[in-house]
Amino acid sequence: MKTGVWLHGDSLSKEDPALRRHPEARSVFVFDRPFLEKAGLSFKRIFFLYESAVEAADEVRVGETVEEILEWMRQEGVERLAVTESPSPRWRETVERLRQKVEVEVVPAEVMVTVPEGYRVKRFTPFWKDLGGEWVDGI
Amino acid sequence: MVGMYCEKIEEARESVHVGGRKAALEALEKFRVQGYASTRNKLKGNVSRLSFYIRHGVLGIREVAESVRERFGKSYDAVKFWQELGWRQFWRHLYGLWGDGVYEDREAAKVPLGNGAEEELPREIVEGRTGLVCMDETVRELVETGYLHNHARMWFASFVVHFRKLGWKAGERFFYRHLLDGDPASNALSWQWVASTFSHRAYLFNRENIQENGGKEWCERCTAKCPFDATYPELERRLFSK
Ligand SMILES: Cc1cc2nc3c(=O)[nH]c(=O)nc-3n(C[C@H](O)[C@H](O)[C@H](O)COP(=O)(O)OP(=O)(O)OC[C@H]3O[C@@H](n4cnc5c(N)ncnc54)[C@H](O)[C@@H]3O)c2cc1C
Repeated sequence: MKTGVWLHGDSLSKEDPALRRHPEARSVFVFDRPFLEKAGLSFKRIFFLYESAVEAADEVRVGETVEEILEWMRQEGVERLAVTESPSPRWRETVERLRQKVEVEVVPAEVMVTVPEGYRVKRFTPFWKDLGGEWVDGI
Repeated sequence: MVGMYCEKIEEARESVHVGGRKAALEALEKFRVQGYASTRNKLKGNVSRLSFYIRHGVLGIREVAESVRERFGKSYDAVKFWQELGWRQFWRHLYGLWGDGVYEDREAAKVPLGNGAEEELPREIVEGRTGLVCMDETVRELVETGYLHNHARMWFASFVVHFRKLGWKAGERFFYRHLLDGDPASNALSWQWVASTFSHRAYLFNRENIQENGGKEWCERCTAKCPFDATYPELERRLFSK
């Protein structure tokens, strides 16, 4: 099955983890029109995203994200998607909607330190004390 | 893309900071960590200005941390730099747990705040017309370049929330629109950290702090009656007694 990679606002690079896992795959980035019309970002910010997206993705589209990705998949003959994980609720919702139509492989994002499942603290000092050592002293 | 950004067409400008991986790798290579720990609080200090690349995954957080280790080893400066990257991971971790909950007060405020009802900051603030040179110049830099030094962000947020008693959410929106590194978690939770709805105490600054970390140039040009020219106990009395 031919895999395509969806690049989003947290993963604008050819070194994106999903693309690294599928180096031969074609990739797409979508400027989500409904979101951008509401968010009112500055031109600079959108232009910065654009500069990053054109370097990273094979195709850059504007429209509703799910519709654009599905349309792109049809055009490219792509049958399944791979995407790098993001904590954003909008990302999660998009993946759920895509999964109603196609298979989506979620690739873990790059982290500096590993946060154990179920780990909970509310302040940075204990967070770094507990987990920072993995990076600072480890390896 | 017309209709998708907040300025009028004739006012739309690019930032001096260029997007894309090529520019990002050049910036990463240029960054030297020496002196980071002792100068990072100064506006002219040796900070990386990599946040917008890291925010959008143009550079990986681990890639940046590794590049510093490979080139400079485990120095005092490197450890401090990694710790700052750790903040980013911390906020991101909380975003994973709370989602859009980052946009709600996480805790009761430790000091009296405004009612937070306003959707937007007043025009004189976002147009840089308060007459306070330090704040007006901060806004100008943000709007022109899409980047602010961490200390400038803290001063501005404290000015909005504590000196002007405006809601942190309106300030958060303003930053999110303009910062190239605008990130739901880092931004909203940092505003809450300043406001004290996600920290043990409110963040305050005074004129001495601005001069020490930003230089005297702003104050020398300023003719306004300075609301920041006081000791911390005085400011606390003025701003936080009911
Ligand atoms: C009110 C307010 C709003 C903020 N909004 C954002 C935001 O939307 N996006 C954002 O990335 N940062 C935000 N920050 C954090 C911080 O100001 C910026 O990350 C930092 O100034 C970026 O500059 P730099 O790349 O030169 O940082 P450096 O000092 O070189 O730090 C290296 C990297 O570590 C990370 N980092 C450093 N400090 C912080 C921090 N306190 N929180 C999170 N990450 C950090 C960034 O990725 C940064 O690029 C905010 C801070 C405040 C006080």
